[in-house]
Amino acid sequence: MSEIKKHDTPLVDQLKTGPWPSFVDDIYIYAEKYKKQTCFDIMGQLELSYKNKETHWKHGGIVGVFGYGGGVIGRYSDQQEQFPAVWAFHTVRVHQPGGKWYHTSYLKKLCDLWDHRGSGIVNFHGSTGDIILLGTVTEQLEYIFFDLTHQLKQDLGGSGSNLRTPSSCMGKSRCQWSCIDTMAIEYELSMEFQDEIHRPSFPYKFKIKVSGCPIDCVAAIARADLSIIGTWVDDIRIDQEAVRAYVGGELKPGGNSHSDRDWGPFDIKKEVIELCPTQCMYWDENEKKLYINNKECNRCMHCMAVMPEALWPGTDTGATILMGSKAPILEGAQLSSVIVPFMRMEPPYDELKEVTRKAWDFWMEVGKNRERLGELIQRIGLNRFITEVLGLPAVPQHIREPRSNPYVFWKEEEVPGGWTRDAAEFRKRHPA
Amino acid sequence: MEKEELKQKIIEVIEKKIKIAGKSKVYLKDLQKDIPGVSPRDIKNAANELVREGKLEYFSTGSTVMFGIPGVGMGLEAGTEKPKEE
Repeated sequence: MSEIKKHDTPLVDQLKTGPWPSFVDDIYIYAEKYKKQTCFDIMGQLELSYKNKETHWKHGGIVGVFGYGGGVIGRYSDQQEQFPAVWAFHTVRVHQPGGKWYHTSYLKKLCDLWDHRGSGIVNFHGSTGDIILLGTVTEQLEYIFFDLTHQLKQDLGGSGSNLRTPSSCMGKSRCQWSCIDTMAIEYELSMEFQDEIHRPSFPYKFKIKVSGCPIDCVAAIARADLSIIGTWVDDIRIDQEAVRAYVGGELKPGGNSHSDRDWGPFDIKKEVIELCPTQCMYWDENEKKLYINNKECNRCMHCMAVMPEALWPGTDTGATILMGSKAPILEGAQLSSVIVPFMRMEPPYDELKEVTRKAWDFWMEVGKNRERLGELIQRIGLNRFITEVLGLPAVPQHIREPRSNPYVFWKEEEVPGGWTRDAAEFRKRHPA
Repeated sequence: MEKEELKQKIIEVIEKKIKIAGKSKVYLKDLQKDIPGVSPRDIKNAANELVREGKLEYFSTGSTVMFGIPGVGMGLEAGTEKPKEE
């Protein structure tokens, strides 16, 4: 074994001085313990990038495992003489389990695998949701894939122009607010769309995220081309006793999350009623009772987050289906738009699969290279996408502010009885 | 179009692009443009089958994937060589 070569990294070392645990410490501790040249070289290259203010990674190539067109991303150093141990430093994306639940024995085995066949550096989790195994060479890929699939029973995730690994919050496995079984939906979609995850299919990436409630812990509305967000159609459940306990100070608001300093007594009017975006709540001081006009509620869930023991989502549940969010490459960042305001979420989720396939078929046909679905929707118009492409009826929920837009342009066939006025007659009295 | 015919057509389109434009890697969208009247899903399935047969190979940047003929243009470990052990 050749001697370990360390690099001076004064700029990188500064990251160790902050208040939080640092990846620099972690990587150096690991590198020293196992004498991993890869880890010393990666820090050396990072130092050089800080100094030059540019990356020294080049990416792209034909790295992958047989039969798969995604899941492995080729990375090469452009400073191979200086940092030979990271000349190739490929990334492997591993499909995370639903809700990101693990058994410790699985994690130990995964770490052993990566100590043996990779750099030992992992990232839990990447922004798409996968486990990211950082740094290996091409010759190791098939062995890694074999061990992952045969010993750990885990598959690769998506990359490139594929469906990216679907991701979900932990949903009903832990959260009292979850309106849908997020993990079941994630699993079902992953199994149904195996071909799209592993083989390039689309003009660009496509992400699916499932959130159990509108609090949206996985940020589906901001980061997924297809956002599935749990919601309810009946009334918010109220425990008036618990509301009174919050008002009286026996229960601490927000699950006592602001206990770091004294914020004064809880003020239901200031902290809940006046912050309601649709002003649909009323606290009767005399009756000591909370009223909610459920028809006006837009499911922001602020009131539930402040008084979690008093307010709960309704029991008649399903999901809102949204499409089109993306990061800012073209036209700036975009949030998903409502496509189906309410959809029942019962296995095998056929309605969801159908609307997804319709959107894909159109995008595959009409989308440009590297055009996200959200950009395509923007290009052709949301109204056309909903009504002509997906064949869904236009409903008020598609309009961002339905109450504040007085302009509705009707076609004659949409008005019962057609037009009653004569345009020629009108022009006689009102010349153009 | 029959599947085998489509696969042959895909190879022809890529070979033509190499010959005329010197372009060794193509996007799925490029194939769709040059093979009109065939559903994008069929083209995608045929192209992926060609990869499994070893007649085409993927070229991925991590964010998008292209298809090429093995041994033509940038190949495996594109532009890089493993440094010699000292």
